[in-house]
Amino acid sequence: MQNSALAVESRNVRDLVPALAAHGAASIRLSGISKSYSGIAALSDVTVEFYAGEVHAVLGENGAGKSTLMSIISGVNQPDTGEIEFEGRRVSPMSPETATALGISISYQHPAILDDLSVLDNLRVAQPQSLFAGRAPRDVAEELLNAVGLHVPLQSRGDSLTVAQKQLLEIAKALALRPKVLILDEPTASLDQDATEMLFDRIRAVVKTGTSVIYITHRLAEIRQIAHRVTVLRDGRVRGGALVADVTDERLLSMIIGRTLGSTFPPKAMDLSADVKLSVESLSGPKFKQVSFDVSRGQIIGVAGVAGNGQSELMRALAGLESSTGTVRLDGHSLTHHDLLREAAFMPSDRLAEGLASSLSVRENASMAALETFGSLGVLRRTKELDQVAKAFTSLAVKAPSIEAPVTSLSGGNQQKVVMARALLSKPRLIVADEPTQGVDVGARAEIYRILREITNSGTPVVINSSDAMELEGLCDKVVVMSRGRIVRTLAGNDVAEANIIAAALGAERHIDARDEDSQGDGAAARGGWRHFVQTDNAPAVPLAIVTVLLALFGFSQNPNFLSSFNVANILTLSTALGFIAVGQTIALLLSGVDLSVGPLTGFLVVVASFFVNDGQPWTIILAGFVLMVAGALAIGTINGCLVRFANFTPIAATLAMYIGLQGFSFLLRDGPGGYINASVVQVITMQVGPIPLAFVVLVALVLGAEYALRNTRPGWQLRAVGSDEESARRIGLRIDRIVVVGYIGSSLLAALGAVMLMAQIGVGDPQQGVNYTLSSITAVVLGGTSLRGGRGTFIGTALGALLLTEVLSAAAFLGLSQTYQYVFQGALVMIAALIYAAVRERGRG
Amino acid sequence: MNIISEQVDGRPLAQRAYFASLSREFVTVVISTAALVVVCLLFAPSSVTYGSLAGSLPFAAILSIVGLGQMLVVQQGGFDLSVAGGVSLAVVISTHVPAGSNDGLLPAVLLAASCAIAAGLVNGVMVGLLRLNAIVATIGMNALIYGGVFAVSGGIPRTTTPLLAAIAGGDTLGIGHSIYFALAILLLVTFVMKKTVVGRRYEAIGANPMAARAVGLHVRLHQTMAYVYAQLLYCLAGILLAGITNQPTAFQGDSLLLPSVAVVVLGGTSLIGGRGFPISTVMSAFFLTQLNQFALAVGVPYSAQTIIQALALGFGIAVYSFR
Repeated sequence: MQNSALAVESRNVRDLVPALAAHGAASIRLSGISKSYSGIAALSDVTVEFYAGEVHAVLGENGAGKSTLMSIISGVNQPDTGEIEFEGRRVSPMSPETATALGISISYQHPAILDDLSVLDNLRVAQPQSLFAGRAPRDVAEELLNAVGLHVPLQSRGDSLTVAQKQLLEIAKALALRPKVLILDEPTASLDQDATEMLFDRIRAVVKTGTSVIYITHRLAEIRQIAHRVTVLRDGRVRGGALVADVTDERLLSMIIGRTLGSTFPPKAMDLSADVKLSVESLSGPKFKQVSFDVSRGQIIGVAGVAGNGQSELMRALAGLESSTGTVRLDGHSLTHHDLLREAAFMPSDRLAEGLASSLSVRENASMAALETFGSLGVLRRTKELDQVAKAFTSLAVKAPSIEAPVTSLSGGNQQKVVMARALLSKPRLIVADEPTQGVDVGARAEIYRILREITNSGTPVVINSSDAMELEGLCDKVVVMSRGRIVRTLAGNDVAEANIIAAALGAERHIDARDEDSQGDGAAARGGWRHFVQTDNAPAVPLAIVTVLLALFGFSQNPNFLSSFNVANILTLSTALGFIAVGQTIALLLSGVDLSVGPLTGFLVVVASFFVNDGQPWTIILAGFVLMVAGALAIGTINGCLVRFANFTPIAATLAMYIGLQGFSFLLRDGPGGYINASVVQVITMQVGPIPLAFVVLVALVLGAEYALRNTRPGWQLRAVGSDEESARRIGLRIDRIVVVGYIGSSLLAALGAVMLMAQIGVGDPQQGVNYTLSSITAVVLGGTSLRGGRGTFIGTALGALLLTEVLSAAAFLGLSQTYQYVFQGALVMIAALIYAAVRERGRG
Repeated sequence: MNIISEQVDGRPLAQRAYFASLSREFVTVVISTAALVVVCLLFAPSSVTYGSLAGSLPFAAILSIVGLGQMLVVQQGGFDLSVAGGVSLAVVISTHVPAGSNDGLLPAVLLAASCAIAAGLVNGVMVGLLRLNAIVATIGMNALIYGGVFAVSGGIPRTTTPLLAAIAGGDTLGIGHSIYFALAILLLVTFVMKKTVVGRRYEAIGANPMAARAVGLHVRLHQTMAYVYAQLLYCLAGILLAGITNQPTAFQGDSLLLPSVAVVVLGGTSLIGGRGFPISTVMSAFFLTQLNQFALAVGVPYSAQTIIQALALGFGIAVYSFR
């Protein structure tokens, strides 16, 4: 299988090379590109050409500059110096929009797939409308998915896809526009053999049509299979380039390795005694399988491999942060993952996310794990804490302005030493260090190596994960190399050398075993119609409608007047005002924000109206009143949105300040009820057809229209995309700021519609009215099944939630129940609904 | 940069540490409050007289206690909308259950505290363990608590027990008792946060739950308990309020919900969680109350007072947002 594929490929290469010489045009030429981040060069003077109609592999270690180069080609980052030429014309500057217009598309290593959107919506929100023009969107989408061999129902949600399926979907998105330049960033990292073969066929097909494919990978074997040309990056520089057919694996390896490292390493363990300190036997967990190794006393063990092959997960399992199966023995005693959490000290790779609390001081960060040792009976002794921390800092030579300085004021190396000091203070029996020198300068690295060696010498085993093979060579006594979640090579003694580590990591040809993914993979596809429906956004509508009807019947059985046309009209009218406001609140919650100002805004707009919409006013003044209501809502929505997006306010803080301010403005305009609303206007607003108020019909029409728009129009997908995952939404090119501001404006405008209803209900401008709508609108939205995490929600559910809430209050009053029950029903309803929805969603994810 | 085990200037580490810990949030609040007092002295001296302060400070004290409760929740990244219910329930239990008799006060206080613990546990379990959104869970809880308020009171106000009026509304050395209560709570919260293992862990979890989990702390347990501590403080505030006010209504807590959040934010605690600032929170409570007094004294209508509060809040958030 493997051989035949290779044979086919080498024939293709031979066919293509003469053709290339014929047109010989470079699609993209980069010349003299340099880019540095805060003084550290990521790319220096990179010059490279990518030709039409061939696959050009870019090879290099982690941190060699591959991703930076791709972000410059796709316009996400701008180079400090250097030029980009596209088909012979200079492009300056390259922006994501220009890149898209020129036909450059990219498939990210971490797919920009939105979990809350369906597969179809994910495709549609990321592609221009023109792609779907004139044909049924589902047919277009099916075609795109078939092209990459992805067979999942179009309505499955992003979060029900496996990593491999997401990767294929990401590639399908990149291929959709028949790009002239296609960038694939490690596309096969999570694919099994069949999917990889299929993808390679697909790549060969697009190359035949003249596309230039830039293929980033770590795997030498893949380069032989698919690429025509290869460029090797090291330390941000081009170390060489060649036609794949002309270059040997040894030559490629020698270009990749050989980085100069300024720091020195402490001497390694002298005697490799047989005294096993730590032994790991067939440990399996998320993304790693059947890992076994032993560590003797005094040894440092390194975990190597291309990033993302299960090393981080293995480290987390050893630290007790992930559950795992298999055995971990320390000094002969088997440890459960709870034991590990207690006994092991973990030094995370992402220091700011998981290592340090940035709002705490250096001292507080260092003592976090060992507080109970600093005092007695749970009360700390300050001197003892200071002594111990200072002692630890001295032995690690931590440099800081003061022990009380904010931890963020330290350099990366000293921050890492604080993490190490914390680990040492907790007197661990095992140290698990994930990328301990990431973001640490050369001088501090040497000290960190020294400290790790000292810890090991004192008898505490140390496990290190590093993507820097040079570092592992210098520091470790034993190295296990991982690929696709399994150990592919164990190196010890003199074999611990950079070249061996990289050869093992890059040379591994293993693909993910298809069986490993099966358990998750089939779930989404095999799900029946009913199971699928339960997971849709509109599923809550059914139980809500049933409860609403049952409650109506129960009320009717207790008191026939409950369904009298007077009471029905009353319930519907009351729920209309709440319905409009709650629909607006749904928009804010879909954006994973919240709008606390809707209640006071409704009241404020009624007060505004009460100066214009009065009896005896000419129609122009009355009209002006309505125009002012709309203008007020527009202004408030814009301010809310701008505070959230541009002034860094959290949604709660921004809309809370607005809440208080609007209440003030209401009282500024009127200090008590006054200004009777024009009777004929009220009559129009409260018009009824039989027992059904016309306004309720308007609400129903609006809700159905909004729901359609949310599911089937570009603004609807954009709204859900931004609420679902802002970062992914940004990468697919959405303009987040504008979408959020428009969302808050929408919320305010719907509050204005609510104000029109409230105006007719109370008939007077009263500064105290309206505020309760804030909480009841959130209640209605939650009942309706919209997630407060954003991205997922339903206007229909919200409207039903508003109706049910109103009906419950009316029923309680009708049944002669005291206010106690009204409140208890309301509270219980919200809690039960929230718990049920949370449980259903949890199952959907699993 | 010094290697920090050394002593600089011959001063011991602990002392230098003390000065270094004056945070920017604290300085901002102190300066604003001092400026406000100066403005009051210059333009509205009547608002800083003994009589005026004796009238307003007890309410600042109650807002402080409620604000500290809200702060404990907010610093764990939560949000508690059941403030209103919690305070109101304590108010009605401590007035209706004793029914005017001093003997009934102690059982009533114990009952109120038990209710607070129960409500806090339900909130905490839903948010901390079941991972429900804090806003949703506490909206629901607030409604349930109000159910309890009406079950106890029927919505009718009732006169305070004389004993409670003496305890909460009386004064010693010319200072209202509620102020002593607030200061005692402030001391307790500060002591626990700074000096005990539980408090320091609580603070670390708020500052970065992921890092706390990585060192093996019981993150969810502390997040759950946050709501219990908060309800206990609301309960105390409610009991004091019942003592200070002659005929407290069943909705006494409603007017405290927004100010409780406002003082937390003005005190510098971030609404996305992080470190809590108890002293700044209490100062903010005084600041907001005094701002009202100032507005009253210079004859600004109620509406303008509210707008001034909103502006102060917006200004406060803006100052802390731009770092």
